[in-house]
Amino acid sequence: MTARTRRGDIVVTRLPNGLTVILREMRQAPVVSVWCWYRVGSRDERPGITGISHWVEHMNFKGTRRIHKEDVTRQVELAGGTWNGYTWLDVTAYFETVQSDAFEEMLRLEASRMTECLYSQNEVEHERTVVISELQGGENDPRSYLEKEVTGTALQAHPYRWPTIGYLSDLRAITRDDLYGHYRRYYVPNNGILVATGDFETAAALRLVRRHFGGIRRGEDPPPVRTIEPPQSGERRLTIRRPSGAVYLEFAFHAPAASEQEFAVFLVADGILAGGPTVNLWSGQDGRGPSKTSRLYRSLIEGDLASQVSTLLVPTRHPYLYRVGVTVNEGVDPGRIEETLTAEIGRLAQGNIEERDLTRAKNQFLARHALESESTTDAAHQLGFFETVAVHRLFLDLPRRVRAVTAGEVATLARARLDGDRRTVGVLFPSGPQPAPAAPGGHGVSRP
Amino acid sequence: MSAVPWIRLDNGLEVIARPNGAARSIAVQLVLEAGAAFDPAEKEGTAALVASLLDRGAGSLSAAAIAGFFDDLGVAYAAEAHRDTLDIRLRLLSDHLPGVLERLRLIVAEPTFPGTEVGRQKGQLLTTIAERDQDTAAVSEMGLQEALFPPGHPYRHPRLGTRDSVSRIERADLVAFHRHRFRSSGAIVSMAGDFDPARALALAASILGTWNGGADGPARGARGTAGTAPGPAARASIPDPPAPDRTIVVVKPIDGKTQADIALGFRGPRRLSPDLPASLVLNSILGEFSLGGRLGKVIRERAGLAYYVYSRFSAGLGPGPFVARAGVAPDRVRRALDLMRRTIEQIVRRGVTPGELRDSKQALAASVPRSMETNPEAAAILADAEFYGLGIDYPWRLAEMIRAVTRRDVEEAARKYLTPRSCVLVVAGPELEKETLA
Repeated sequence: MTARTRRGDIVVTRLPNGLTVILREMRQAPVVSVWCWYRVGSRDERPGITGISHWVEHMNFKGTRRIHKEDVTRQVELAGGTWNGYTWLDVTAYFETVQSDAFEEMLRLEASRMTECLYSQNEVEHERTVVISELQGGENDPRSYLEKEVTGTALQAHPYRWPTIGYLSDLRAITRDDLYGHYRRYYVPNNGILVATGDFETAAALRLVRRHFGGIRRGEDPPPVRTIEPPQSGERRLTIRRPSGAVYLEFAFHAPAASEQEFAVFLVADGILAGGPTVNLWSGQDGRGPSKTSRLYRSLIEGDLASQVSTLLVPTRHPYLYRVGVTVNEGVDPGRIEETLTAEIGRLAQGNIEERDLTRAKNQFLARHALESESTTDAAHQLGFFETVAVHRLFLDLPRRVRAVTAGEVATLARARLDGDRRTVGVLFPSGPQPAPAAPGGHGVSRP
Repeated sequence: MSAVPWIRLDNGLEVIARPNGAARSIAVQLVLEAGAAFDPAEKEGTAALVASLLDRGAGSLSAAAIAGFFDDLGVAYAAEAHRDTLDIRLRLLSDHLPGVLERLRLIVAEPTFPGTEVGRQKGQLLTTIAERDQDTAAVSEMGLQEALFPPGHPYRHPRLGTRDSVSRIERADLVAFHRHRFRSSGAIVSMAGDFDPARALALAASILGTWNGGADGPARGARGTAGTAPGPAARASIPDPPAPDRTIVVVKPIDGKTQADIALGFRGPRRLSPDLPASLVLNSILGEFSLGGRLGKVIRERAGLAYYVYSRFSAGLGPGPFVARAGVAPDRVRRALDLMRRTIEQIVRRGVTPGELRDSKQALAASVPRSMETNPEAAAILADAEFYGLGIDYPWRLAEMIRAVTRRDVEEAARKYLTPRSCVLVVAGPELEKETLA
């Protein structure tokens, strides 16, 4: 053990091989949640191998030298558990939430997954079509299609610009050796974080973690992402035609990294505009619309211009995007949505913010911060997620940062980051039964 | 098993209070027998519309006043119509329970359905319907309901209604629906979280006891803990649809899609069927355990045909569908379908293995404590058990019932519900030849 700190009931340890271990006792139910995180995601890819981190995640459910393929998930379920994995811009994570007496088995599983997954050629080929099916299912949804296109337009250089699922051509071309090489490069203890929360005794839990992970050899530190997105100077715009039941419009602006002080200001700004984002990427996406007192709800929904508004501000390691997505009411010109959004952002930039707006946005954030980390699964997720994108203490510190935000800071942020020259505007129009011809000048809406 | 205190108020409302001091928060769920199954004929979507309007004006409070109260305190509010029930869900920090219950009473007892809001919510619902009609998964689900349930059956129509049915709904329909279906008698309020249960019950009684003109002040109704569950409330009866006598094939073309959705459906069990535990085990073996049971093993793992493939059944007051689902590339529909059918036929003809049976039983029984870990989960599961008249102690008894399921029970359930020669097959997606699917 080279370092050890204590903050409340959260114990953080760094093993000699570089593995970060975060433990938190929670005795509310006889369950434990074990999350194993790797600092690898689509940001660590390049054209030609886009989607590889996600595909590697899939391969890591296909058995290890010591654990048969079927037992990877079977033993979790037999312990009354739930399990999953996900891949995102900065992270790949695996978790199991099980009855507490299966704790050690889960550690054994994650340690084995870190070092000895199989990657047989046969399994690689089976999974290729499964991943392609996942991509095709996603493209069925016009909103995610628009989101993907807007991301690729708003970001021109940073590897956050391609979708985590990857491009179809890359998914067809990636080889078994590409996958295995990616796995071995990034799945080393010095690039991992093991988080456990729940019904255990910390010292005993740490002994178990050492028993299973202590012997894993440190690897080379993976290469850092070097590209910094150049500043945008001028609006970017795109029009898409796809089969769709409605017209969708999306604004995207450049957002700060989670570790920047400005991130908390952004949380409050979004709170005033839309009621505030979730900061739990795993369980917080419950389809919740904007809060009904928020400015965008009042102007767009109560203004009868839109049927849905949603915003997204995700904690990331590098600067990413702030999005506002709108489902346009039938017969409404998307231009009117743009005008309204621009006007609402203008109000923020002019400092038109009442004390009650500020308090309400902060209270909503504080309640959500608490509610979204209540369960053992959510608590472990939040600690691990913030450790990968910044440091776990940031999650604990966010309430303090949010409370300190002033109206002046929100106005400054709106002026600096939400102005017209730094935005990307995407509109998706429903195409007819036949592929639509190139977009004419007008905003004609054709329904299939 | 932990005891769960409950009380039945004089107005018939049942209140459950499960204490959990792990976090300073509370979840509240109110459940009414007012789901889409009770939509008036030709006006499907009424329940969904009513749900969306409850907080848009109630008693003397405007929509802005209600939203302002919730948002100032960071209270999360949602109301949704399901098939049997209409649920209101709230999450709050524990200090706010009295104020939240006051608003809940107004929302459920005295919604005002202001005209402008009715028009607005109707418009939003129509947009959502237009989006849904382009969604392959939703369209296949609706196709299944249409083919499985005859005209006039409460489970036939889509939960949100159709473009035509929603256009026909007037404000008076919403008011009438509310008057008929929002009764305190038979409704359930389930609370879980950071409170003293006796105080929380007393608080709920004093606030919600006046709904439907019930007596003021603390109610003197029946009370107890989970071991002494209150008797079940009378529920609406939903008839059995006739079982399909052949395979019905439905193709729902949606142009320009990259993936097709398959739904292979049967008439499933009711919630109170004695073979419900056996059906849970059957479903786990067929399409749930691990990466989607046998279906997952055959279609995803071995053939690499689909990212998602699973089975599930939704047992309600009536028999909901038992369905196997998959999303596959358009040129692989035929192959996936063959494998789905073969997998189901095999389970019916040859039964299940002792290993599968043991695994699925253990997984289902052992998952009970985890499934009730959080306040919203606990509130929802207890409300659901009580709504269907199963009793508050049902989650714990269910674990025992699952452990008692035999191989024979599962195989009988398979023969009863999975009838590959008489079922409904729906494919929604890019144009397909119907003949090649039969």
